[in-house]
Amino acid sequence: MARLGMVIDLKRCVGCNSCTLSCKQENGTPAGMHFARVVTREVGEYPRTRRTFLPLLCNHCEDAPCEKACPTGATYIRADGIVMVAKEKCIGCRACAVSCPYMNRHFIEEGFLGHGYAGGELSPFEAVKFGAFEEGTMSKCTLCAHRVDEGLEPACVTTCPTEARIFGDWDEPEGKLQKLVRERNGWTLLPECKTRPKVFYLDA
Amino acid sequence: MATHGEIAIAPHRFAYGYYRQVWWNWLIGTAFFCGGLGAGLFLVSLATGEPVGMIAGWLLVTVGKNTAHLFFLGRPERFWRAAMRPDRSWIARGIWATGFFAVAGFLCFAPHVLGPAWMLSGTAGAAVQWVAAISALFIMFYDGFVMNSSGAIPFWNSALLPLLVLMYASLGGTTLSLLLRAVTGGGQEHMAWLGLQEKWLLVGNAALLGAYLYRMSRWQPAARETVRMLVRGRFAWAFVGLVLAIGLGATLLLTFAAERFRSEWLLPVVAACELTGDFTLLIVWLKSGLFSPQTAPHALNTVSKQEPA
Repeated sequence: MARLGMVIDLKRCVGCNSCTLSCKQENGTPAGMHFARVVTREVGEYPRTRRTFLPLLCNHCEDAPCEKACPTGATYIRADGIVMVAKEKCIGCRACAVSCPYMNRHFIEEGFLGHGYAGGELSPFEAVKFGAFEEGTMSKCTLCAHRVDEGLEPACVTTCPTEARIFGDWDEPEGKLQKLVRERNGWTLLPECKTRPKVFYLDA
Repeated sequence: MATHGEIAIAPHRFAYGYYRQVWWNWLIGTAFFCGGLGAGLFLVSLATGEPVGMIAGWLLVTVGKNTAHLFFLGRPERFWRAAMRPDRSWIARGIWATGFFAVAGFLCFAPHVLGPAWMLSGTAGAAVQWVAAISALFIMFYDGFVMNSSGAIPFWNSALLPLLVLMYASLGGTTLSLLLRAVTGGGQEHMAWLGLQEKWLLVGNAALLGAYLYRMSRWQPAARETVRMLVRGRFAWAFVGLVLAIGLGATLLLTFAAERFRSEWLLPVVAACELTGDFTLLIVWLKSGLFSPQTAPHALNTVSKQEPA
């Protein structure tokens, strides 16, 4: 069975936030909720400074702490390794959010789905897309499971103009993910948390 | 903006830095407070045969703790689902313990309220008391495991946290038991022993807090930043002022004064001081929790010194 994941090449990332926007468009997340985001940081000292970019999304960890912390079993891991939330089982205790070191869980507050980006009524797009969410429950990046099930790549991968995001299967020994990580010493975020993320990064 | 070295608290999720814990708020703090205090009071009262304390402790847990939890939940009508996975989740284990406590605890004081017909004798009575005692003890410390099982927040991720929570629950229970005895006039034969226990618990809690902060000040950067915030940062007024000065220092002095001058009117003041410190501790522990910055593991604390490529 596949173990789906991603490698993000920081040498290619230009911090354009196309992934952030394409994710919002694909998943129709409410205002203020970002399954994909890019953390920007200025490093160095004047005059030798530069900006670094770190694209973030759910790491779909193999030892997912959110799945362990969930008291109801609402958070589960699919056979292909994608970490999902069954919203009908979620009670909104937020234990998963507290246990995720990557801050990739999102709580949908009461009234959150009542108004759209423009502030007033929901647009037709929002009215359809917000139907996938439920107030009082948690939501998260699904690695675009609905697209993956149709043989497509996640929206953030397809949209990235520099092809910094590489999507694939970790179970393929000679696949592109394994190869890139081996060749360029890929690393994961916060390895001390021992969550075994399936999203790896390559140095800039 | 608070900083540790060159890392600041991130103002939003697109910025680099420590991220503040915003998920668990004062309602969770209130639930933990009521749970620990109620279970502690129940256990002390059960051990000393004081029915008023047992009833008050039971109400604090079954009404206070559970109500706060229900108000906190996003979907409270599905609360029963939280009991589904006791094999993995400390929250689920806590639900079961609270359920056992609600039934066994009620049966412990039922004869005093509903009459001798409710008295369980022999093995059944002893078994009910044991179940009530063990579940109360579990409620006193499991909050610590709920918090420390989160490896995401280094300041909580300590084996000392369940012990600290247990010690504070014992202290709160003892304080409230002393106050109830002073008010109702019952169980006076245990006042001296409870007074002594109160003082030792205050000293023990102060030592444990010191050990906790010392350990965390040598732990991961996010934990060190939390210690800094507690000792001289944005939460110093609450931690140093309310938890240490009032919750421990003033409580200890007033406990001595109440004994020295045999003035029971001081006991409500002692209880107010101790419970203020107890509640504040839980709130600042929740609010000061920080997530580690998201960065390359080899770049933490050193990225800003890197030369541009």
